[in-house]
Amino acid sequence: MNRPVIAFAGLTACSGCQLTLLNCEEELPQLAEMFDFAYFPMGRSENDDCCSLEVSFVEGAVSTPGDLEILLNLRSRSRLLVGIGTCALWGGIAAMKNHQPRLELTEAVYGNFANAVKTFPPGPLSRFVTVDFAVPGCPPETNQVMQVLASLLHGTLPVFPGYPVCTECRNRENLCLLIEKNELCLGPLIQSGCNARCPAVSVACEGCRGPATEANVAAEIDLLVEKGFSREEINSRLRRFYPEWDNGQRY
Amino acid sequence: MAETFLTYNALGSFLVRLMQIGTLHGPTLNDLGVLSFNPVTSPDLLQLNYQRTLLPPKKYLLPPQSPILHYAPTEGYTPAKTPGDEILLFGLHPCDLAGIAYLDRVFLDDRPDPLYASRRERLVLVGISCESDEYCFCGDVGVCPTAAAVPFDLFLSRQDSGFRIRTGSRRGEEIISWAADIVGTAGAETRPAEAAETARRICHAVGKRRMFEGSTLWDDFAGRCLSCGACSLCCPTCYCVDVREYGAIDGQTGERVQEWDNCLFKAHGEIAGGINFRKTRQERFHYRFLHKYYGFGPLRDVISCVGCGRCRAVCPVGIDLLELFGEEPA
Repeated sequence: MNRPVIAFAGLTACSGCQLTLLNCEEELPQLAEMFDFAYFPMGRSENDDCCSLEVSFVEGAVSTPGDLEILLNLRSRSRLLVGIGTCALWGGIAAMKNHQPRLELTEAVYGNFANAVKTFPPGPLSRFVTVDFAVPGCPPETNQVMQVLASLLHGTLPVFPGYPVCTECRNRENLCLLIEKNELCLGPLIQSGCNARCPAVSVACEGCRGPATEANVAAEIDLLVEKGFSREEINSRLRRFYPEWDNGQRY
Repeated sequence: MAETFLTYNALGSFLVRLMQIGTLHGPTLNDLGVLSFNPVTSPDLLQLNYQRTLLPPKKYLLPPQSPILHYAPTEGYTPAKTPGDEILLFGLHPCDLAGIAYLDRVFLDDRPDPLYASRRERLVLVGISCESDEYCFCGDVGVCPTAAAVPFDLFLSRQDSGFRIRTGSRRGEEIISWAADIVGTAGAETRPAEAAETARRICHAVGKRRMFEGSTLWDDFAGRCLSCGACSLCCPTCYCVDVREYGAIDGQTGERVQEWDNCLFKAHGEIAGGINFRKTRQERFHYRFLHKYYGFGPLRDVISCVGCGRCRAVCPVGIDLLELFGEEPA
């Protein structure tokens, strides 16, 4: 059988998404058998920088000229490019302060050396290249990563649910933290697939997976304001993982 | 068969007897303190004065997610394994029994679904009468006189000193005979069935084919709705499902899975090419209203709201389709 040649790479991020793959411990032997991991700097010491690739999985936001170089290289070698994780899809944590001047931020961290740091506001992969498929999450769920890999072997891509975290949360019969506890839960806005991991342990959804399909942002904000949260607090929570909410969007 | 009587004092012994017959499930608090139907390890855990569980008993008949077919190149498609032992589902309110009656018509009448049938066969339904609260309105009889008779194996009606037990099936009679030393004979019934004003109002409006097209509520609902899905997940009669296929990592085998869908989701009316039959939330609400109160296909003209009040209780933004009926002239 043909072993698809694939890449797993990281740009500006914490490497947690790549680690998600390594965390699929039980499946790793089978994965190594089914796929040729030609380029996976986090997982192997020798990597092929030139070969054609069936699929590239790319973690992280694009924030430096070096990031862009890796991304363009992988895109030009790959049939499919899959953005993996919140940073790759939306900018993520690194993009939280994108509304502030870049130099101000670099100075805060690097002081006088700020000018020597070649960096620009972190952006999603899709701002620079065509992204064929997205695996959301910070980090992504191992089962969704495995579903993508499995689907590739079947010649397709999976269909991930676009509905919000609430759906999976209700299906698990969790306590609704929004209704019953009046907590700042972003469940109604956020894409499911995590099986309501956080609310299941009584932690409100912080929105790590990015927007659900047709998220009714304005209605959620109205609801949270009604519950007594300040707009500043709501915006700050919203921006933690996804910087580009349209607060007036109702659909 | 003669009706029997179970005193409140004998309830514990009766439940222990039921636990000897099969696996007992009933309304209890789960780990997070949410009232839900769960396996009962001790009769003390049952919350029999409950208002409503979060998910209705449909989760036993049509689970949120369940495999329906398995595929392997050598064997082709094989149906999912049917479930095992009998479950005694204890403490079902009349509305939930009416919900099961409706699902039975959907999945057993027209084109019987073997998986549903096998799950249904293993359930022993033990109903219990209830007190309505501000959310629900079923009375003791389901929404409309046209509703199918509620199915039960046993039904316990609260009286002053205990439950009056009615049997609704041979299985129910067997259970009562096994508990003959615990139950006694019943005297005259003392509590009449409740009348339900809301139910009467709905039936009246539906009888006149009211659609409330001109109502401003549609826009109001659509503007507030978060499309979280709670209203239909928690509805005892919502049965829309999506079907997905998941290939396995061996590159050979796969599974076809059925999972709950919701008519307020964008994907519900979406077909190949991204075409959508119901592009806006307003249209989706109209669709929901039509399905709930006017029915589709073989169940046209069957109201599928059983008055349990869940959709009103679980909506984060307080949307209540029943407000439409408030616009009906008295």
